[in-house]
Amino acid sequence: MQKAPGSLSEILGNENISQNYYALSFKVNLLPIPKPGQFYQIRCSDSNDPLLRRPFSFHRLVQNGTTHHLEILYRVIGKGTEWLSKKKKGEVLDLLGPFGNGFVNEEGMEPLVLVARGIGIAPLYGFAEEALRKDKRRKILILIGARLKERILYEKECRKLGRVFTYTDDGSQGFHGRAPELLCHLLKNGKLADKFSLYACGPAAMLKELAEITKRLNIPGQVALQDHFGCGFGACLSCACPLKPDSIKRDPSWQKPALQWSEDRSRAYSLICKDGPVFDLQEIDWEEWLA
Amino acid sequence: MPAAGTFGYGSEYASFLDLNRLGAIIVKTLTLRPRMGSFPHRSTETSSGWLASIGLQNVGMERFIEEKLPFFETIGTSLIVSLGGETIEEYVELAHRVNREKRIDAIELNVSCPNVKKGGMHFGTDPEIMKVLVPAVRQATDKILIIKLSPMVPDIRVFAEISQQSGADAISLINSPVGLAIDIEKTRSKLGRNITGGLAGPAIKPLALYLVWQVYKAVDIPVIGVGGISSAEDAIEFFIAGASAIQIGTYQFIDPTVTLNVLEGIEVYLRRKRIDRLSSLIGSLEG
Repeated sequence: MQKAPGSLSEILGNENISQNYYALSFKVNLLPIPKPGQFYQIRCSDSNDPLLRRPFSFHRLVQNGTTHHLEILYRVIGKGTEWLSKKKKGEVLDLLGPFGNGFVNEEGMEPLVLVARGIGIAPLYGFAEEALRKDKRRKILILIGARLKERILYEKECRKLGRVFTYTDDGSQGFHGRAPELLCHLLKNGKLADKFSLYACGPAAMLKELAEITKRLNIPGQVALQDHFGCGFGACLSCACPLKPDSIKRDPSWQKPALQWSEDRSRAYSLICKDGPVFDLQEIDWEEWLA
Repeated sequence: MPAAGTFGYGSEYASFLDLNRLGAIIVKTLTLRPRMGSFPHRSTETSSGWLASIGLQNVGMERFIEEKLPFFETIGTSLIVSLGGETIEEYVELAHRVNREKRIDAIELNVSCPNVKKGGMHFGTDPEIMKVLVPAVRQATDKILIIKLSPMVPDIRVFAEISQQSGADAISLINSPVGLAIDIEKTRSKLGRNITGGLAGPAIKPLALYLVWQVYKAVDIPVIGVGGISSAEDAIEFFIAGASAIQIGTYQFIDPTVTLNVLEGIEVYLRRKRIDRLSSLIGSLEG
Protein backbone atom coordinates (compact mmCIF):
# COMPACT_ATOMS: atom_id res chain seq x y z
CA MET A 1 0.00 0.00 0.00
CA GLN A 2 1.37 3.43 -0.88
CA LYS A 3 1.55 6.06 1.82
CA ALA A 4 -1.58 8.08 2.45
CA PRO A 5 -1.27 11.56 0.95
CA GLY A 6 -2.03 13.45 4.10
CA SER A 7 -0.88 14.26 7.58
CA LEU A 8 -1.09 16.44 10.62
CA SER A 9 1.29 19.35 10.19
CA GLU A 10 2.51 21.90 12.68
CA ILE A 11 1.45 25.47 12.01
CA LEU A 12 4.42 27.86 11.95
CA GLY A 13 2.46 31.06 11.43
CA ASN A 14 -0.96 32.38 10.47
CA GLU A 15 -0.70 36.05 9.69
CA ASN A 16 -3.37 38.57 8.72
CA ILE A 17 -1.63 40.23 5.76
CA SER A 18 -4.31 42.76 4.76
CA GLN A 19 -8.07 43.17 5.08
CA ASN A 20 -9.41 39.61 5.39
CA TYR A 21 -6.43 37.94 3.70
CA TYR A 22 -4.18 35.56 5.62
CA ALA A 23 -0.91 33.72 5.00
CA LEU A 24 -0.56 30.40 6.77
CA SER A 25 2.72 28.50 6.91
CA PHE A 26 3.22 24.92 8.03
CA LYS A 27 5.84 22.20 8.27
CA VAL A 28 5.91 19.52 5.62
CA ASN A 29 8.48 16.95 6.65
CA LEU A 30 6.53 13.93 5.49
CA LEU A 31 4.78 15.30 2.48
CA PRO A 32 5.72 15.34 -1.18
CA ILE A 33 6.79 18.81 -2.28
CA PRO A 34 3.85 20.26 -4.19
CA LYS A 35 3.90 21.99 -7.56
CA PRO A 36 2.36 25.46 -7.92
CA GLY A 37 -1.25 24.93 -8.98
CA GLN A 38 -1.72 21.85 -6.83
CA PHE A 39 -3.94 22.09 -3.77
CA TYR A 40 -4.48 20.77 -0.26
CA GLN A 41 -7.74 19.69 1.32
CA ILE A 42 -7.66 21.21 4.80
CA ARG A 43 -10.01 20.41 7.66
CA CYS A 44 -11.45 23.73 8.85
CA SER A 45 -13.59 22.53 11.72
CA ASP A 46 -13.66 20.75 15.09
CA SER A 47 -17.24 19.63 14.51
CA ASN A 48 -19.58 18.65 11.68
CA ASP A 49 -20.35 22.26 10.80
CA PRO A 50 -18.56 23.25 8.66
CA LEU A 51 -18.34 19.70 7.43
CA LEU A 52 -16.23 19.21 4.32
CA ARG A 53 -12.56 19.98 3.95
CA ARG A 54 -11.76 23.19 2.08
CA PRO A 55 -9.40 23.31 -0.91
CA PHE A 56 -6.46 25.73 -0.75
CA SER A 57 -3.90 26.31 -3.47
CA PHE A 58 -0.33 25.68 -2.52
CA HIS A 59 1.13 29.19 -2.48
CA ARG A 60 4.87 28.91 -2.03
CA LEU A 61 7.76 26.89 -0.75
CA VAL A 62 10.07 28.67 1.70
CA GLN A 63 13.54 27.27 2.21
CA ASN A 64 15.72 28.13 5.20
CA GLY A 65 18.99 26.29 4.82
CA THR A 66 18.16 22.62 5.03
CA THR A 67 14.61 23.04 6.30
CA HIS A 68 11.62 24.18 4.34
CA HIS A 69 7.99 24.95 4.92
CA LEU A 70 4.91 25.61 2.81
CA GLU A 71 2.54 28.53 2.69
CA ILE A 72 -1.05 28.95 1.65
CA LEU A 73 -2.85 32.27 1.16
CA TYR A 74 -6.53 32.57 1.89
CA ARG A 75 -9.33 35.04 2.26
CA VAL A 76 -11.86 34.69 5.06
CA ILE A 77 -15.18 34.22 3.28
CA GLY A 78 -17.17 31.83 5.45
CA LYS A 79 -17.32 29.60 8.49
CA GLY A 80 -14.41 27.38 7.40
CA THR A 81 -11.91 30.13 6.65
CA GLU A 82 -13.08 32.03 9.76
CA TRP A 83 -12.20 28.96 11.85
CA LEU A 84 -8.85 28.63 10.08
CA SER A 85 -7.96 32.28 10.70
CA LYS A 86 -8.07 31.62 14.46
CA LYS A 87 -5.48 28.84 14.38
CA LYS A 88 -2.21 29.78 16.04
CA LYS A 89 1.45 28.92 15.74
CA GLY A 90 2.17 25.51 17.25
CA GLU A 91 -1.33 24.17 16.61
CA VAL A 92 -1.91 21.31 14.23
CA LEU A 93 -3.23 21.46 10.68
CA ASP A 94 -5.08 18.39 9.33
CA LEU A 95 -4.48 18.22 5.61
CA LEU A 96 -4.73 15.87 2.67
CA GLY A 97 -2.71 16.38 -0.47
CA PRO A 98 -1.14 17.77 -2.49
CA PHE A 99 -3.67 16.86 -5.18
CA GLY A 100 -4.08 17.66 -8.86
CA ASN A 101 -1.80 18.93 -11.61
CA GLY A 102 0.48 21.94 -11.39
CA PHE A 103 1.23 24.73 -13.86
CA VAL A 104 3.67 23.83 -16.60
CA ASN A 105 6.31 26.32 -17.61
CA GLU A 106 6.00 26.97 -21.36
CA GLU A 107 9.64 27.01 -22.39
CA GLY A 108 10.61 29.57 -24.99
CA MET A 109 7.40 31.54 -24.68
CA GLU A 110 8.69 34.70 -23.00
CA PRO A 111 7.57 36.57 -21.06
CA LEU A 112 5.47 34.65 -18.57
CA VAL A 113 2.34 36.74 -18.08
CA LEU A 114 0.50 36.04 -14.84
CA VAL A 115 -3.06 37.31 -14.53
CA ALA A 116 -4.75 37.25 -11.15
CA ARG A 117 -7.70 38.76 -9.44
CA GLY A 118 -7.75 38.97 -5.62
CA ILE A 119 -6.67 35.75 -3.96
CA GLY A 120 -5.99 34.29 -7.42
CA ILE A 121 -2.39 35.42 -7.02
CA ALA A 122 -1.80 32.59 -4.50
CA PRO A 123 -0.78 29.79 -6.92
CA LEU A 124 0.66 32.15 -9.55
CA TYR A 125 3.15 33.73 -7.17
CA GLY A 126 4.64 30.34 -6.30
CA PHE A 127 4.75 29.47 -9.98
CA ALA A 128 6.74 32.65 -10.75
CA GLU A 129 9.14 31.95 -7.89
CA GLU A 130 9.69 28.43 -9.17
CA ALA A 131 10.33 29.68 -12.71
CA LEU A 132 12.92 32.14 -11.38
CA ARG A 133 14.58 29.47 -9.25
CA LYS A 134 15.15 27.43 -12.40
CA ASP A 135 16.23 30.40 -14.51
CA LYS A 136 16.63 33.77 -12.81
CA ARG A 137 16.57 35.57 -16.16
CA ARG A 138 12.97 34.56 -16.91
CA LYS A 139 10.94 37.64 -17.80
CA ILE A 140 7.75 37.86 -15.79
CA LEU A 141 4.80 40.24 -16.09
CA ILE A 142 2.19 40.22 -13.39
CA LEU A 143 -1.31 41.67 -13.72
CA ILE A 144 -3.04 41.91 -10.36
CA GLY A 145 -6.21 43.65 -9.41
CA ALA A 146 -9.47 43.68 -7.57
CA ARG A 147 -12.71 45.59 -7.19
CA LEU A 148 -10.94 48.40 -5.32
CA LYS A 149 -7.36 49.22 -4.37
CA GLU A 150 -7.60 47.99 -0.77
CA ARG A 151 -8.28 44.51 -2.11
CA ILE A 152 -5.16 44.34 -4.26
CA LEU A 153 -3.05 41.65 -2.73
CA TYR A 154 0.67 41.07 -2.77
CA GLU A 155 1.67 44.02 -4.93
CA LYS A 156 4.97 44.63 -3.11
CA GLU A 157 5.91 40.93 -3.17
CA CYS A 158 5.06 40.64 -6.86
CA ARG A 159 7.38 43.53 -7.69
CA LYS A 160 10.28 41.37 -6.50
CA LEU A 161 9.50 38.83 -9.21
CA GLY A 162 8.79 40.92 -12.26
CA ARG A 163 7.04 43.88 -13.77
CA VAL A 164 3.66 44.55 -12.14
CA PHE A 165 0.56 46.20 -13.60
CA THR A 166 -2.42 46.78 -11.34
CA TYR A 167 -6.07 47.22 -12.23
CA THR A 168 -9.22 48.06 -10.29
CA ASP A 169 -12.89 47.98 -11.24
CA ASP A 170 -13.42 51.44 -9.72
CA GLY A 171 -10.20 52.96 -11.02
CA SER A 172 -8.88 53.63 -7.50
CA GLN A 173 -5.51 52.21 -8.48
CA GLY A 174 -3.75 51.40 -11.74
CA PHE A 175 -5.72 50.60 -14.85
CA HIS A 176 -9.44 51.42 -14.61
CA GLY A 177 -11.08 48.21 -15.77
CA ARG A 178 -10.73 44.48 -15.65
CA ALA A 179 -7.80 42.18 -16.34
CA PRO A 180 -8.63 41.18 -19.95
CA GLU A 181 -9.06 44.88 -20.82
CA LEU A 182 -5.71 45.68 -19.23
CA LEU A 183 -4.08 42.88 -21.20
CA CYS A 184 -5.53 44.26 -24.46
CA HIS A 185 -4.42 47.75 -23.46
CA LEU A 186 -0.83 46.54 -22.91
CA LEU A 187 -0.82 44.77 -26.28
CA LYS A 188 -2.21 47.80 -28.06
CA ASN A 189 0.34 50.14 -26.51
CA GLY A 190 3.29 47.95 -27.29
CA LYS A 191 4.08 47.24 -23.63
CA LEU A 192 3.67 43.58 -24.44
CA ALA A 193 4.62 41.81 -27.67
CA ASP A 194 2.06 39.36 -29.01
CA LYS A 195 4.19 36.34 -28.20
CA PHE A 196 4.08 35.23 -24.56
CA SER A 197 2.60 32.54 -22.36
CA LEU A 198 -0.23 33.25 -19.96
CA TYR A 199 -1.12 31.78 -16.56
CA ALA A 200 -4.31 32.82 -14.82
CA CYS A 201 -6.38 32.37 -11.69
CA GLY A 202 -9.56 34.24 -10.87
CA PRO A 203 -13.28 34.42 -11.62
CA ALA A 204 -14.66 32.38 -14.52
CA ALA A 205 -15.83 35.37 -16.55
CA MET A 206 -12.27 36.76 -16.55
CA LEU A 207 -10.82 33.39 -17.52
CA LYS A 208 -13.24 33.03 -20.41
CA GLU A 209 -12.13 36.38 -21.85
CA LEU A 210 -8.48 35.46 -21.39
CA ALA A 211 -9.15 32.23 -23.29
CA GLU A 212 -10.55 34.27 -26.18
CA ILE A 213 -7.53 36.61 -26.24
CA THR A 214 -4.94 33.82 -26.13
CA LYS A 215 -6.81 31.93 -28.83
CA ARG A 216 -6.79 34.99 -31.07
CA LEU A 217 -3.05 35.47 -30.51
CA ASN A 218 -2.41 31.74 -30.78
CA ILE A 219 -0.35 31.65 -27.59
CA PRO A 220 -0.40 29.09 -24.80
CA GLY A 221 -2.38 29.74 -21.64
CA GLN A 222 -3.09 27.82 -18.49
CA VAL A 223 -5.62 28.35 -15.76
CA ALA A 224 -6.19 27.11 -12.21
CA LEU A 225 -9.90 26.49 -11.79
CA GLN A 226 -11.98 26.24 -8.63
CA ASP A 227 -15.31 24.73 -7.64
CA HIS A 228 -16.96 23.22 -4.57
CA PHE A 229 -15.29 19.91 -3.87
CA GLY A 230 -16.79 16.98 -1.99
CA CYS A 231 -13.62 14.94 -1.58
CA GLY A 232 -10.78 16.46 -3.64
CA PHE A 233 -9.40 13.09 -4.72
CA GLY A 234 -11.68 11.90 -7.50
CA ALA A 235 -14.23 9.82 -5.59
CA CYS A 236 -17.36 11.97 -5.37
CA LEU A 237 -17.46 13.27 -8.98
CA SER A 238 -18.94 16.62 -7.92
CA CYS A 239 -16.34 18.89 -9.55
CA ALA A 240 -17.22 18.08 -13.17
CA CYS A 241 -15.64 20.47 -15.62
CA PRO A 242 -16.85 20.62 -19.25
CA LEU A 243 -14.07 20.29 -21.81
CA LYS A 244 -14.14 20.91 -25.55
CA PRO A 245 -13.40 17.45 -26.95
CA ASP A 246 -11.54 18.82 -29.99
CA SER A 247 -9.32 21.13 -27.92
CA ILE A 248 -8.05 18.77 -25.25
CA LYS A 249 -4.39 19.47 -24.68
CA ARG A 250 -2.61 17.63 -21.92
CA ASP A 251 0.92 18.15 -20.72
CA PRO A 252 2.75 14.82 -20.38
CA SER A 253 3.29 15.55 -16.65
CA TRP A 254 -0.46 15.88 -16.06
CA GLN A 255 -2.62 12.92 -15.18
CA LYS A 256 -4.38 11.26 -18.04
CA PRO A 257 -7.91 12.59 -17.71
CA ALA A 258 -10.71 10.25 -16.74
CA LEU A 259 -13.04 11.85 -19.25
CA GLN A 260 -16.72 11.06 -19.15
CA TRP A 261 -17.99 11.41 -22.71
CA SER A 262 -21.52 12.03 -23.90
CA GLU A 263 -22.91 9.15 -25.96
CA ASP A 264 -22.33 10.97 -29.26
CA ARG A 265 -18.83 11.98 -28.04
CA SER A 266 -19.59 15.65 -28.71
CA ARG A 267 -19.16 16.64 -25.06
CA ALA A 268 -16.86 15.52 -22.24
CA TYR A 269 -16.57 16.16 -18.52
CA SER A 270 -13.36 15.92 -16.56
CA LEU A 271 -12.80 16.33 -12.83
CA ILE A 272 -11.22 19.53 -11.56
CA CYS A 273 -9.62 17.82 -8.57
CA LYS A 274 -7.88 15.07 -10.55
CA ASP A 275 -7.57 16.26 -14.15
CA GLY A 276 -7.07 19.89 -13.05
CA PRO A 277 -7.16 22.19 -11.25
CA VAL A 278 -4.75 23.48 -13.90
CA PHE A 279 -6.15 23.22 -17.41
CA ASP A 280 -5.13 24.59 -20.76
CA LEU A 281 -7.30 27.70 -21.31
CA GLN A 282 -8.56 26.29 -24.61
CA GLU A 283 -9.62 22.94 -23.15
CA ILE A 284 -12.51 24.32 -21.15
CA ASP A 285 -15.99 24.81 -22.56
CA TRP A 286 -16.49 28.23 -20.97
CA GLU A 287 -20.07 28.67 -22.20
CA GLU A 288 -21.06 25.48 -20.46
CA TRP A 289 -19.02 26.29 -17.36
CA LEU A 290 -20.65 29.72 -17.00
CA ALA A 291 -24.21 28.55 -17.84
CA MET B 1 -18.72 -0.75 4.29
CA PRO B 2 -18.42 2.37 2.14
CA ALA B 3 -21.68 3.59 0.60
CA ALA B 4 -22.33 3.66 -3.14
CA GLY B 5 -21.34 6.89 -4.85
CA THR B 6 -18.84 7.93 -2.22
CA PHE B 7 -16.10 5.40 -2.89
CA GLY B 8 -15.66 5.73 -6.65
CA TYR B 9 -14.62 2.37 -8.09
CA GLY B 10 -12.57 1.45 -5.03
CA SER B 11 -9.08 2.24 -6.28
CA GLU B 12 -9.57 5.95 -5.44
CA TYR B 13 -9.10 5.01 -1.76
CA ALA B 14 -6.30 2.48 -2.17
CA SER B 15 -3.62 4.96 -1.08
CA PHE B 16 -5.51 5.81 2.12
CA LEU B 17 -6.37 2.44 3.61
CA ASP B 18 -6.04 -1.32 3.28
CA LEU B 19 -9.22 -2.13 1.37
CA ASN B 20 -9.06 -5.75 2.58
CA ARG B 21 -10.13 -4.58 6.01
CA LEU B 22 -13.53 -3.41 4.81
CA GLY B 23 -16.58 -5.68 5.14
CA ALA B 24 -17.52 -4.98 1.54
CA ILE B 25 -17.11 -2.31 -1.12
CA ILE B 26 -20.05 -0.85 -3.00
CA VAL B 27 -19.01 0.86 -6.19
CA LYS B 28 -20.61 3.89 -7.79
CA THR B 29 -23.99 3.09 -9.37
CA LEU B 30 -23.61 1.53 -12.80
CA THR B 31 -25.98 2.03 -15.69
CA LEU B 32 -26.21 0.12 -18.95
CA ARG B 33 -24.62 2.90 -20.99
CA PRO B 34 -22.08 5.46 -19.74
CA ARG B 35 -23.66 8.56 -18.25
CA MET B 36 -22.28 12.10 -18.16
CA GLY B 37 -24.33 12.95 -15.11
CA SER B 38 -25.59 16.33 -13.96
CA PHE B 39 -24.49 19.76 -15.16
CA PRO B 40 -21.33 21.29 -13.64
CA HIS B 41 -21.52 23.00 -10.23
CA ARG B 42 -22.90 19.86 -8.71
CA SER B 43 -22.49 20.32 -4.99
CA THR B 44 -22.62 22.72 -2.11
CA GLU B 45 -22.39 22.50 1.64
CA THR B 46 -25.36 23.07 3.95
CA SER B 47 -25.42 22.90 7.77
CA SER B 48 -23.68 19.60 8.57
CA GLY B 49 -24.69 18.39 5.14
CA TRP B 50 -23.48 17.90 1.60
CA LEU B 51 -26.06 18.72 -1.06
CA ALA B 52 -25.10 17.19 -4.38
CA SER B 53 -26.45 16.25 -7.76
CA ILE B 54 -24.02 13.93 -9.50
CA GLY B 55 -26.74 12.41 -11.66
CA LEU B 56 -25.24 8.92 -11.78
CA GLN B 57 -22.17 9.86 -13.81
CA ASN B 58 -20.51 6.51 -14.45
CA VAL B 59 -18.51 4.60 -17.05
CA GLY B 60 -21.31 2.14 -17.85
CA MET B 61 -21.46 -1.58 -17.15
CA GLU B 62 -19.20 -2.81 -19.97
CA ARG B 63 -16.34 -0.42 -19.25
CA PHE B 64 -16.65 -1.19 -15.55
CA ILE B 65 -16.22 -4.88 -16.23
CA GLU B 66 -13.38 -4.28 -18.67
CA GLU B 67 -11.44 -1.54 -16.87
CA LYS B 68 -12.44 -1.39 -13.21
CA LEU B 69 -13.27 -4.96 -12.25
CA PRO B 70 -9.70 -6.32 -12.69
CA PHE B 71 -8.59 -4.09 -9.78
CA PHE B 72 -10.80 -6.15 -7.47
CA GLU B 73 -8.80 -9.27 -8.32
CA THR B 74 -5.97 -7.67 -6.32
CA ILE B 75 -8.04 -7.48 -3.12
CA GLY B 76 -10.21 -9.99 -1.28
CA THR B 77 -13.02 -7.71 -0.12
CA SER B 78 -16.60 -8.61 -1.04
CA LEU B 79 -17.79 -6.57 -3.98
CA ILE B 80 -21.28 -5.13 -4.29
CA VAL B 81 -22.32 -3.32 -7.44
CA SER B 82 -25.01 -0.68 -7.31
CA LEU B 83 -27.29 -0.78 -10.36
CA GLY B 84 -29.42 1.99 -11.85
CA GLY B 85 -31.78 1.73 -14.80
CA GLU B 86 -34.07 4.02 -16.72
CA THR B 87 -36.53 1.18 -17.37
CA ILE B 88 -37.39 -2.12 -15.71
CA GLU B 89 -35.84 -3.88 -18.71
CA GLU B 90 -32.55 -2.06 -18.14
CA TYR B 91 -32.41 -3.15 -14.51
CA VAL B 92 -33.05 -6.74 -15.60
CA GLU B 93 -30.40 -6.59 -18.31
CA LEU B 94 -27.87 -5.20 -15.83
CA ALA B 95 -28.67 -7.95 -13.34
CA HIS B 96 -28.22 -10.59 -16.05
CA ARG B 97 -24.86 -9.13 -16.97
CA VAL B 98 -23.68 -9.00 -13.34
CA ASN B 99 -24.72 -12.61 -12.88
CA ARG B 100 -21.97 -13.70 -15.28
CA GLU B 101 -19.22 -12.06 -13.21
CA LYS B 102 -17.83 -14.34 -10.52
CA ARG B 103 -15.96 -11.54 -8.74
CA ILE B 104 -19.19 -9.66 -7.96
CA ASP B 105 -20.84 -10.91 -4.77
CA ALA B 106 -23.99 -8.85 -4.55
CA ILE B 107 -26.22 -6.26 -6.17
CA GLU B 108 -27.54 -3.15 -4.49
CA LEU B 109 -30.52 -1.97 -6.51
CA ASN B 110 -30.55 1.81 -6.65
CA VAL B 111 -34.24 2.58 -7.01
CA SER B 112 -33.81 5.78 -5.04
CA CYS B 113 -31.38 8.13 -6.81
CA PRO B 114 -32.83 11.64 -6.33
CA ASN B 115 -30.97 13.20 -9.28
CA VAL B 116 -32.11 11.47 -12.47
CA LYS B 117 -35.11 12.23 -14.67
CA LYS B 118 -35.94 8.60 -15.51
CA GLY B 119 -35.86 5.62 -13.19
CA GLY B 120 -34.13 6.26 -9.87
CA MET B 121 -36.36 7.64 -7.16
CA HIS B 122 -39.39 7.60 -9.48
CA PHE B 123 -39.29 3.79 -9.32
CA GLY B 124 -38.48 3.52 -5.65
CA THR B 125 -41.37 5.74 -4.60
CA ASP B 126 -44.03 3.88 -6.60
CA PRO B 127 -45.18 0.62 -4.95
CA GLU B 128 -46.74 -0.69 -8.18
CA ILE B 129 -43.47 -0.35 -10.10
CA MET B 130 -41.54 -1.92 -7.22
CA LYS B 131 -43.88 -4.93 -7.27
CA VAL B 132 -42.83 -5.59 -10.87
CA LEU B 133 -39.22 -4.42 -10.76
CA VAL B 134 -37.89 -6.30 -7.74
CA PRO B 135 -39.27 -9.75 -8.72
CA ALA B 136 -37.97 -9.23 -12.28
CA VAL B 137 -34.45 -8.49 -11.03
CA ARG B 138 -34.69 -11.35 -8.53
CA GLN B 139 -35.41 -13.71 -11.43
CA ALA B 140 -32.45 -12.40 -13.39
CA THR B 141 -29.78 -13.05 -10.79
CA ASP B 142 -28.77 -15.44 -8.06
CA LYS B 143 -26.39 -12.92 -6.52
CA ILE B 144 -27.28 -11.49 -3.11
CA LEU B 145 -29.89 -8.80 -3.80
CA ILE B 146 -30.08 -5.65 -1.68
CA ILE B 147 -32.72 -2.98 -2.32
CA LYS B 148 -31.73 0.58 -1.45
CA LEU B 149 -34.77 2.58 -0.38
CA SER B 150 -35.63 6.25 -0.71
CA PRO B 151 -36.79 8.25 2.31
CA MET B 152 -39.06 10.34 0.05
CA VAL B 153 -42.18 8.21 0.71
CA PRO B 154 -45.06 8.46 3.17
CA ASP B 155 -44.52 4.97 4.61
CA ILE B 156 -41.18 3.32 3.92
CA ARG B 157 -42.37 0.02 5.43
CA VAL B 158 -44.55 -0.58 2.35
CA PHE B 159 -41.43 -0.59 0.17
CA ALA B 160 -39.49 -2.76 2.59
CA GLU B 161 -42.29 -5.31 2.64
CA ILE B 162 -42.55 -5.38 -1.15
CA SER B 163 -38.78 -5.95 -1.32
CA GLN B 164 -38.96 -8.82 1.15
CA GLN B 165 -41.94 -10.46 -0.57
CA SER B 166 -40.17 -10.14 -3.92
CA GLY B 167 -37.21 -12.16 -2.74
CA ALA B 168 -34.69 -9.47 -1.79
CA ASP B 169 -32.00 -10.66 0.62
CA ALA B 170 -31.54 -7.36 2.42
CA ILE B 171 -32.61 -3.73 2.47
CA SER B 172 -30.34 -0.73 2.69
CA LEU B 173 -31.55 2.69 3.71
CA ILE B 174 -31.58 5.57 3.30
CA ASN B 175 -30.65 7.03 -0.04
CA SER B 176 -30.44 10.83 0.00
CA PRO B 177 -33.54 12.90 0.61
CA VAL B 178 -34.01 15.71 -1.93
CA GLY B 179 -32.86 19.17 -0.93
CA LEU B 180 -32.47 22.72 -2.23
CA ALA B 181 -30.08 25.56 -1.37
CA ILE B 182 -30.55 29.04 -2.84
CA ASP B 183 -28.10 31.83 -3.60
CA ILE B 184 -30.19 34.82 -2.50
CA GLU B 185 -28.06 37.34 -4.42
CA LYS B 186 -28.60 35.56 -7.73
CA THR B 187 -32.04 34.11 -6.83
CA ARG B 188 -30.65 30.91 -8.24
CA SER B 189 -30.08 27.43 -6.88
CA LYS B 190 -26.59 26.89 -5.49
CA LEU B 191 -26.55 23.80 -7.71
CA GLY B 192 -27.13 25.95 -10.82
CA ARG B 193 -29.12 24.30 -13.58
CA ASN B 194 -29.41 21.11 -11.54
CA ILE B 195 -31.59 23.05 -9.07
CA THR B 196 -32.05 20.22 -6.55
CA GLY B 197 -29.71 17.65 -5.06
CA GLY B 198 -29.56 14.79 -2.62
CA LEU B 199 -28.76 15.74 0.96
CA ALA B 200 -26.10 13.66 2.68
CA GLY B 201 -23.87 13.88 5.72
CA PRO B 202 -24.54 14.15 9.48
CA ALA B 203 -27.61 16.35 8.86
CA ILE B 204 -29.65 13.32 7.74
CA LYS B 205 -28.65 10.90 10.50
CA PRO B 206 -31.76 11.23 12.73
CA LEU B 207 -34.02 10.65 9.70
CA ALA B 208 -32.02 7.62 8.59
CA LEU B 209 -31.96 6.17 12.08
CA TYR B 210 -35.71 6.54 12.48
CA LEU B 211 -36.42 4.88 9.14
CA VAL B 212 -34.02 2.00 9.87
CA TRP B 213 -35.89 1.39 13.11
CA GLN B 214 -39.24 1.44 11.26
CA VAL B 215 -38.06 -1.00 8.61
CA TYR B 216 -36.36 -3.29 11.13
CA LYS B 217 -39.70 -3.78 12.87
CA ALA B 218 -41.53 -4.40 9.58
CA VAL B 219 -39.38 -7.06 7.89
CA ASP B 220 -37.35 -10.15 8.76
CA ILE B 221 -34.53 -9.73 6.23
CA PRO B 222 -31.39 -7.85 7.32
CA VAL B 223 -31.35 -4.07 7.25
CA ILE B 224 -28.24 -2.11 6.28
CA GLY B 225 -28.16 1.33 7.85
CA VAL B 226 -26.75 4.32 5.98
CA GLY B 227 -27.08 8.06 6.40
CA GLY B 228 -24.84 10.54 8.20
CA ILE B 229 -22.58 8.11 10.03
CA SER B 230 -19.28 9.71 11.03
CA SER B 231 -18.22 7.83 14.16
CA ALA B 232 -18.44 4.52 16.02
CA GLU B 233 -21.12 6.06 18.25
CA ASP B 234 -23.24 6.85 15.19
CA ALA B 235 -22.77 3.31 13.88
CA ILE B 236 -23.74 1.78 17.24
CA GLU B 237 -26.95 3.83 17.23
CA PHE B 238 -27.83 2.22 13.91
CA PHE B 239 -27.17 -1.30 15.27
CA ILE B 240 -29.37 -0.59 18.28
CA ALA B 241 -32.10 0.70 15.93
CA GLY B 242 -31.99 -2.59 14.02
CA ALA B 243 -29.26 -2.42 11.38
CA SER B 244 -27.26 -5.61 10.82
CA ALA B 245 -24.56 -3.72 8.96
CA ILE B 246 -23.76 -0.11 8.19
CA GLN B 247 -22.45 1.95 5.31
CA ILE B 248 -20.49 5.18 5.56
CA GLY B 249 -20.72 7.74 2.78
CA THR B 250 -19.93 11.44 2.87
CA TYR B 251 -17.71 11.35 5.94
CA GLN B 252 -15.10 9.45 3.96
CA PHE B 253 -14.44 12.69 2.08
CA ILE B 254 -13.43 14.32 5.35
CA ASP B 255 -11.60 11.30 6.73
CA PRO B 256 -10.88 8.66 4.07
CA THR B 257 -10.02 6.17 6.83
CA VAL B 258 -13.18 6.74 8.88
CA THR B 259 -14.44 3.22 8.08
CA LEU B 260 -11.49 1.65 9.90
CA ASN B 261 -11.75 4.08 12.82
CA VAL B 262 -15.42 3.18 13.19
CA LEU B 263 -14.55 -0.54 13.20
CA GLU B 264 -12.06 -0.01 16.01
CA GLY B 265 -14.49 2.15 17.95
CA ILE B 266 -17.20 -0.51 17.74
CA GLU B 267 -14.76 -3.10 19.15
CA VAL B 268 -13.87 -0.80 22.04
CA TYR B 269 -17.57 -0.26 22.80
CA LEU B 270 -18.34 -3.99 22.72
CA ARG B 271 -15.45 -4.73 25.10
CA ARG B 272 -16.44 -1.94 27.47
CA LYS B 273 -20.06 -3.14 27.55
CA ARG B 274 -18.91 -6.78 27.78
CA ILE B 275 -20.94 -7.71 24.69
CA ASP B 276 -19.62 -10.90 23.07
CA ARG B 277 -21.35 -10.63 19.74
CA LEU B 278 -22.44 -7.57 17.79
CA SER B 279 -25.60 -9.46 16.81
CA SER B 280 -26.95 -9.19 20.35
CA LEU B 281 -26.92 -5.41 19.94
CA ILE B 282 -29.02 -5.41 16.76
CA GLY B 283 -32.50 -4.05 17.37
CA SER B 284 -31.91 -3.76 21.10
CA LEU B 285 -33.64 -0.38 21.40
CA GLU B 286 -35.73 -0.44 24.54
CA GLY B 287 -39.36 0.57 24.82
